[in-house]
Amino acid sequence: MIFYPVLFALIATMALALARALLGPSLYDRVLAVNMFGTKTVLFLAVTAFMLGRPDFLDLALAYAAINFIGVLAVLQFFQSREIRQRYERQGR
Amino acid sequence: MTLIFGVFLLILLVIVALAIVRSEDLFAAVMLSGIFSLLMAVNFFLLDAADVALTEAAVGAGVATVLFLGALALTGKEEARHTVSPGGRWLALGVSFATASLLFYASLENPHIGDGSAPVHQHVAPWYLANTLPLIDIPNVVTAVLGSFRGFDTLGEVFVVFTAGIGVMSILGVRHSLVELSGAELDARQRSLRHHLIPRIVGRGMVPLIMLFALYVQFHGEYSPGGGFQAGAIAAAAIILYSLLEGDDRGRELLPEWLLRLMVAGGALLYGGVGLACVLLGGNFLDYSVLATVPSAGQHLGLLLIELGVGITVTGVLISVFHAFARRASR
Repeated sequence: MIFYPVLFALIATMALALARALLGPSLYDRVLAVNMFGTKTVLFLAVTAFMLGRPDFLDLALAYAAINFIGVLAVLQFFQSREIRQRYERQGR
Repeated sequence: MTLIFGVFLLILLVIVALAIVRSEDLFAAVMLSGIFSLLMAVNFFLLDAADVALTEAAVGAGVATVLFLGALALTGKEEARHTVSPGGRWLALGVSFATASLLFYASLENPHIGDGSAPVHQHVAPWYLANTLPLIDIPNVVTAVLGSFRGFDTLGEVFVVFTAGIGVMSILGVRHSLVELSGAELDARQRSLRHHLIPRIVGRGMVPLIMLFALYVQFHGEYSPGGGFQAGAIAAAAIILYSLLEGDDRGRELLPEWLLRLMVAGGALLYGGVGLACVLLGGNFLDYSVLATVPSAGQHLGLLLIELGVGITVTGVLISVFHAFARRASR
């Protein structure tokens, strides 16, 4: 079975990404770690779907692949608007 | 082998949960809760619960992080300092320990995973499995149970979503007296990600694809994992993506507030209306068989309509909550 080594590799990568998300240190490390974890989840779901013989469950991987990046965009917008607001508040004083 | 993967992923889940509780940086907690949701979806998937996993995926990946960040923009970045007396600490430890030992004790008697003789598989589950095809004529048993056999429960769920949406809107959506926006603030409000070319172009290309996928999940739910709840969350994710890229004001132009309110109420109304139509046509409440001359065709029609109602309500509620947060943050 080719699936097991692949799944092992994916889980190891997920654990590494999780370690980065837990350790930080900067916010961007965490953002990247979450994004990477999401990508690995998509792969994990796809491989498992084929391993279980249910390729129709690929819908799930597809859903993640389509909307996983929205969270990252929200993070970027969050930082941007906070930066602008802080700059504005500094100018106001 | 799948069991080993499942156990390992559950251990990761516990680690993430502990880290969320321990972390004082709220932004880190939001990021970790994203990972928590991903892990949860994988675990559901390994347990063969594809419909639940799809719900977790749609809500956790698309909407939850965005809403958490919206809440974070209204509060501080750090958790508030709170002091607990040593006595309180010991009391909390004691209560947690007692609950945990009770749960462990109860789990000793639990049947094993996939045990066919477990009590839960003895009661109504065999009846659902045997009667889904003859009575409703669709392959996805989950949709049959959710929409038809236990349609009344699902009606309750839709009203829970409806009530939750009203609750959030009444707390966050209170009209403030309009403040004159100064130049920089207006700039900050309108800028969004509109000036970032690459996310904007790629993201705008994704919006119709996500919407298409939502429609597929909505109308194919009888044959594959999916249904109104999942489709509603995915469609809301598409609109939220548009609002993030183009600015909240343009998102609100696309779906104005009155339309969102109409969606929130109309979806629930459609669901209840189907139930009443069944009564008027001589059946029981939410007994779709009377909707057409052939009972199974009536079931198909009923499922289609109530899933549509669920989808519309969920989309409306999620987008309204997003707008409520975004508008509060921009003031």
